[in-house]
Amino acid sequence: MSRTASGLRAWVLQRLTAIYLGLFTLYLLVLMLAGGHDDWQHWRELFAQPLMSVATLLYVLALLLHAWIGVRDVLIDYVRPLALRISLLTLVGFGLVACGLWAAQALLLARLH
Amino acid sequence: MQFLVSRYNPESDEAPHLQSFEIETWRGMMLRDALLEIKRQDESFAFRHSCGEGVCGSDAVNVNGSNRLACITAVADLKAPVTVRPLPGRPIVRDLVVDMSQFYAQYRAVTPWLVRKDPMPEQEIRQSPAERARLDGLYECILCGCCSTACPSFWWNPDKFHGPQALLTAWRFLADSRDQATEERLDALEGPYRLFRCHTIMNCVEVCPKGLNPTRAIGHIKQLMLGHAI
Repeated sequence: MSRTASGLRAWVLQRLTAIYLGLFTLYLLVLMLAGGHDDWQHWRELFAQPLMSVATLLYVLALLLHAWIGVRDVLIDYVRPLALRISLLTLVGFGLVACGLWAAQALLLARLH
Repeated sequence: MQFLVSRYNPESDEAPHLQSFEIETWRGMMLRDALLEIKRQDESFAFRHSCGEGVCGSDAVNVNGSNRLACITAVADLKAPVTVRPLPGRPIVRDLVVDMSQFYAQYRAVTPWLVRKDPMPEQEIRQSPAERARLDGLYECILCGCCSTACPSFWWNPDKFHGPQALLTAWRFLADSRDQATEERLDALEGPYRLFRCHTIMNCVEVCPKGLNPTRAIGHIKQLMLGHAI
């Protein structure tokens, strides 16, 4: 990897995560529309299943990566002052990691209950 | 027919402004003819032009919001009043004349010539018709600058992003069977700026007066890069 941020890797990751996000979102939509999961108890049981739990964790990870690359692209395009860019990137980074941890915690609690 | 033409004299004006001209049009009149007519009315008016046949690429201007070559744009096809501005995003030298230095610098940055590592043969380097056909739609670029100056990514980062014109040229040499610097060319395009600022907005495809497709060329480069990376 060169001293600059990656170009090809970010681009490929953005596309691969997009495929997974698209497919899993579609799956979730179908689940919701199919019914049978319309109360908290059912949702908890659904996300407590090991396969579903891992698939959802992957989904969150893909979402965070996808969002990070997208926001990074926007900031690289529009925010020229270095200090401001680094501050914003840091802020977004922390925010995304916090979202990820929160989601992981929720999934873990669903399994523990 | 009314023409609103952008005027700017760096010695006396603070900012560019539009000046109205009334031009008598004739059948088959091109925008370049109208600009020449305006110059006859006001000889202080400045714009670039040369061949008048869409070959030299000198008279690219922004007409009613899109970049075109004045010499191959029929006045009859334009909606009045016709607003003519310099190519967007470039420093204005005077009236419609812009400074294209960064555009040419990006062109030079992609090594726009064949690189051979083998000793040069006595005769020409031969290509099959199929190999030659891969260069169609790439070699025709006349460097008018319509595409790169229509590209938002180039507006924001003209110093770091190569822009559609230079990237089309980069692919023109990557696609050439006679070139032997594929790895070096791909390495030179890595990083978040030079190639990957392209967000497939496709303004370049829309404005190219030669009907070329820089976005497709950029896609080919990304594919080739991926193939060489894994």
